[in-house]
Parts: sequence; structure tokens; C-alpha cells
Amino acid sequence: MSRATRRVSRWVDDLLHERSPRGLRSNEEDAKILAAAIEFRSASPGAGLPDPHFVESLQQRLARETQGEVPRALRLSRRTLLASGGLAAATAAAGLVVGERLTGPSTVRRDLLPIGATWTAVALVADLPEGMTRSFDTGSVRGFVVNRGGKITALSGVCTHLGCLLQLNAAARRLDCPCHNAAFGLDGSVLFKHMPDALPPLPLLESRIREGQVEVLTV
Amino acid sequence: MESGLRPGEPGVLHVIDGDRPLDWERVYRDHVASIYRLLYYKVGNQHDAEDLTSQVFMEALPRLRASASGGEIHMYLVATARTMLAGHWRRRLGIEVTTIDENLAMAEVHEPPTDPLPRIRRILAKLPPNYRRVLELRFLERCSVGETAARMGISSGNARVVQHRALQRAAELGAEVGA
Repeated sequence: MSRATRRVSRWVDDLLHERSPRGLRSNEEDAKILAAAIEFRSASPGAGLPDPHFVESLQQRLARETQGEVPRALRLSRRTLLASGGLAAATAAAGLVVGERLTGPSTVRRDLLPIGATWTAVALVADLPEGMTRSFDTGSVRGFVVNRGGKITALSGVCTHLGCLLQLNAAARRLDCPCHNAAFGLDGSVLFKHMPDALPPLPLLESRIREGQVEVLTV
Repeated sequence: MESGLRPGEPGVLHVIDGDRPLDWERVYRDHVASIYRLLYYKVGNQHDAEDLTSQVFMEALPRLRASASGGEIHMYLVATARTMLAGHWRRRLGIEVTTIDENLAMAEVHEPPTDPLPRIRRILAKLPPNYRRVLELRFLERCSVGETAARMGISSGNARVVQHRALQRAAELGAEVGA
């Protein structure tokens, strides 16, 4: 029996006993086999259900850790608000296209501002004439870029209700949620919904135009 | 500006504005099972899934705004989970997983996570009988190597060899079978 066979056997034993696999090697072949073993493991009966004791103990740990955390969260929020104002101002000064941004406690819309993010090109400006909408998927963010009246904006493609992916309904110029029959306008506003829950508008994503490309700030 | 674009911070999303305190217990209860399952499907064991789930909530909850909707919170938690998972494999394997195997990363994560069994059945159907049998016994019936060997009428050493080859072949087929 080869060393590799023994190694693979140990991982499988570890996974089946809910342990972290030991003795991993940094090579492609091992990573592929490990990924296959993990996939098979995830199909085992009962896999993926959290242990109630774990759920309970993490909740207690979070309760301890978050004691007195509300002021910290508010501080973070204020800093972030200032930060976003600064970012908006900087991008506006540079003549970049930025989505409308509403800040202040009474605002309904919440824009998503990635931390430690990078600008990712998601479309060519040339492919986005007036009235055109295109979807994009950066791996971490799915959304749509929209050209409304010559102004290009980017908005999240995830329904604010339960997180279903929205589908572009180009004919009706709206984004449809396939899960609960709701729709958003291309400005992110709610057009209609058929559920009792409140449905916030879609968050705008930070966007800009660089060298003929529409870029979105993503993680 | 500095907090918005500081390099080196975990890649997470801030949901900004709103001043109500976050009902974090509700957020936790609503999302813990789905985040755990999502991570479990990518690490395949309780130990790592619990560790990463803890990291996700410890990291994310203080940053969440009370006014965020369920969909936004979920998206934020998934983004945090993806970051934590990348760090996990970077530490465990010493390399960026996305460069070696996207199956271990969460780049292609879909929401809600799909049931892995139908895809596994399609892979199993394409395997030679003894490869299929060893994986069914080990993973779906949770047999030990000894039990697997006994039921297949082979030695334990042989069962390990067949298991190794079966996983190699399953990994190849997995790329062909698709989602």
C-alpha cells in the first residue's frame, strides 16, 4: 500500500469521524482527492446539520463577546458613514459615475460598501448603451449594471427578501424575483411584492468607469 | 475613506446606515443553520465547520447594521464565510485553493446550497462497480474500512487501495458531471 493510499485513507477516516483531516499536502492531486472525499462526505446521511449543543454554546459565546458591542457597532457605523461620504466625494471629484447615495438614519436604502475591496471590471461601457441593463457575477457579488439616461449605476442582484437571485425582465424593464413574485425597478425601487414582509429596495454598489470599462467595488 | 478601502482587512461587506441596535440573537438563529451547512459542504467535517461558523459570526455580527434586510445579512454572512474558508485552506494547504481546486473554494456557491446527493449519484453511476461499492459503503453507509473490506470480500489493505483509486476517479468524473 502506497504512502498516498494511507494518507487518503486517514483523511476519509477523519472526515467520517467529524475530525479535521490530518497530514494534508500542498499538491494538486491531493487537493482534488480531498475535495472529492469532502463532497461525498457532505452527501452522507445527516451531514450538514449543526449539533444543537454547538448552536447553543456559540450563541452564549456571542452573547459574552457582544456585551457592550452596540456602542462599538455604532462607532463603526459613524466611521463608515464618514468613510462613504469621503469615498463619494472623492469619486465625484474625480468625475466618476457614482450611484445615488443616501446617508442618514431615516434612509430606507442601504448601500453595500465592501471593506478591503477591489475594483472589478464587469462590463464594457460600449456594451451598455442608454437603456441597456446587463447582469454580472464577480464570484463574490452578483448584480446588474444599468444605463439609465446616460448614467451608469450598479445594483445588487440579490432579492432583499430571502436572498434569491433576481432575473432581468428586459421587456418590462425590471428585475423579477422568482421566489415570491416580487419585482424591482432598474433604480432598485420595489415595484410590487406579494408577501406581507417589508421589502427594502435593492442596495446600490459602488461603481466607476475606467478606461472604457464599468468597474464595481467588490470583495 | 480609510475604513472603506483599507487593504488587508478581510473582504467583507458593510451594510451602512441605520442606528437601531442589531437584534443579533435573531440574526444568529435565522442564519446559523444555513451558514453551518454551507461551510460543512466545503470542509466535510464537524470540527472545521463549527470552527469556521464561529469565526463567521464573531467577525460579522459586530459589523452588521440593524437596518439590513434578511437577504442583505445573508449575502454579507456568505461573503464572510467565503473569506474565512479561503483563509482556512490557505493555512491548511499552504496555497490559494482557488488556484488548485475550485471545489474547495466557495467561488461557485449557490444559494440556497443544493442537495449534494443527486450529483453524487450521477458520479457513482459512472464508476466501475467496485469503486462505486467502496464509496457507497464508506460514505453513504458509514462503514469502517474493516466492514467495507468484509462486505466486499477483500482485505482491508485492498479496500484502502480501491478507496484511493475510486476517489481519484470520482474527482475526475466530478469535473465532467457538472452541477
